[in-house]
Amino acid sequence: MSAADTVIDVRELRKTYRTPFRRKKVEALRGISFTVQRGHIFGFVGPNGAGKTTTIRTLMGLIRPSGGTATILGHQIPSRAARARVGFLPESPYFYDYLTIGELLDLAGRLFGLDGAARKKRADQLIERVGLGRARTQSLKKFSKGMLQRAGLAQALMNDPEVIVLDEPTSGLDPIGRKEVRDLILELRDQGKTVFFSSHILTDIEAIADRVAIVARGSLQSTGTPAELVKRTVLGFDLKVRIAADATVDELTAGASRVRRVADELAVTLGADADIDAWLARAHAAGAKVLAVEPRHETLEDLFMRQIASADTASAATEGRV
Amino acid sequence: MLGRIWAIALNTFREAARIRVLYGIVVLVAGANLLAIVLGQMSIHEEQRVARDIGLAGISLFGSLTAIFLGVFLLYTEVQRRTIHAIVSKPIERWEFVVGKWFGMAIVLTILVGLFAVAMAGMLTWQGVGVSSAVVKAVVLAWFEVLTVASIAIFFSSFSTPFLSGIFALAMWGLGRVTPDIEAAIEHGSPWIRTTARVALEIVPDIHLFSPSGRIVEGATVTVHGDFITWGYVGLSSLHALGWIVGLLAIACLLFQRRDFA
Repeated sequence: MSAADTVIDVRELRKTYRTPFRRKKVEALRGISFTVQRGHIFGFVGPNGAGKTTTIRTLMGLIRPSGGTATILGHQIPSRAARARVGFLPESPYFYDYLTIGELLDLAGRLFGLDGAARKKRADQLIERVGLGRARTQSLKKFSKGMLQRAGLAQALMNDPEVIVLDEPTSGLDPIGRKEVRDLILELRDQGKTVFFSSHILTDIEAIADRVAIVARGSLQSTGTPAELVKRTVLGFDLKVRIAADATVDELTAGASRVRRVADELAVTLGADADIDAWLARAHAAGAKVLAVEPRHETLEDLFMRQIASADTASAATEGRV
Repeated sequence: MLGRIWAIALNTFREAARIRVLYGIVVLVAGANLLAIVLGQMSIHEEQRVARDIGLAGISLFGSLTAIFLGVFLLYTEVQRRTIHAIVSKPIERWEFVVGKWFGMAIVLTILVGLFAVAMAGMLTWQGVGVSSAVVKAVVLAWFEVLTVASIAIFFSSFSTPFLSGIFALAMWGLGRVTPDIEAAIEHGSPWIRTTARVALEIVPDIHLFSPSGRIVEGATVTVHGDFITWGYVGLSSLHALGWIVGLLAIACLLFQRRDFA
């Protein structure tokens, strides 16, 4: 990837707060570095309080960094020129609740410098696209959380941006709403746009992100494609058999890390070093019918949990030294 | 730039127009004018004087209190409710946002002052007095007072809570109205009191300039009921107001520029 393909370039970004009264230092970002390439969906994942929102707000000029640098589309932040080409959905978006969706988009269009006709045309397109056509006359005060999230997406797309930054876009949405947002992100990527989005919902990240960065306690733990990040080695096996409801299964569950039996179905998880052939032979001998044998690989969730635990341990050790 | 400032001003106007307290204030001022008629009837041949005094005092007092109320809340609530996140992340400079907020407030306050003036004019006409040029000049001065007070409130709101901003703005407005009286009073104080008071008075706008009735201006006592100030005085006072408005908004913009919106 050339430098021209780099849309967001974050280097050693730091943010330190002071608590209001005791003036205690709080390090929200501890030197985060990553790049986002043009046309990618970049998932920024981490637990609550990891520094995702602080990073995003710093990129969008809402927070001044304490150290490090960041550029968006080649412009050093905070940059008005960069913001003109970026669409932003804040976390749990709060809008003027007395406006209708049309008025909200009109305001956004004015701030992006669109003329009246362009504002109207773009707003009409986006209202239909995010499925709020039937709520045109309602004030935002009457919108549900999911509708507000859609309104937020619409205002983020008013300027037909090259880069879209979404802070927790699927948070608080029902499964249908989450899928719609995921589909919209994929559609934007297909149009050649770059999407940088944060989430703590790993299935969302795993489903659509081209690249992933895991952040914990203000530090970047790892970054790469989902395939690069998760180990392809076999961690174990998930086996499922159908067996007579009254049959004893002690021979089949011995050494299993997880056992689940519902009516005549038995699901067993065995370790990577288990002798699967011998287990299958025992299953056949017991009269069981094998339904599934699946090797279990590391998932993004496994990696995430491992890295968060590692970051917590490192942080506890540092605090212990202090 | 102007388009973005206008967008913020228009939105601020929409927001302020939804505050029901403002409609209550309009009713209150209309009531004060009706009270002026009653009080005028109770006075001995002073109906016109009472009508003018109460009408103009209503514009100055309620206009300024409204300016403080709007100024300390409208900017603060943007930050507190996080509505500002979706705004300053767009290609708008923060100073444009602050100036837009002030302009939006200025539109609301201008409409309010206009309504108050119409109510007073109606009351004066009812009294058979009519609206003199002195009254028009006094209304224009009150309008500049209200706009100056709005910038004071915005200035404090750029770095403080509504409660503290309200107290600071009220104190600054109150001091500004009585600076000549304070100066006269401290003439008899100890040297350090005089120095401290003079420094304090230097950082307060001369809001008394906008209520000259009953004071000595250029060696003569002026009154809205008789010989009043010239349009030249109104012009100079408006320049004083504009100077303070620009200065206070400039500092507010600088302070706002440095804020984190976490």
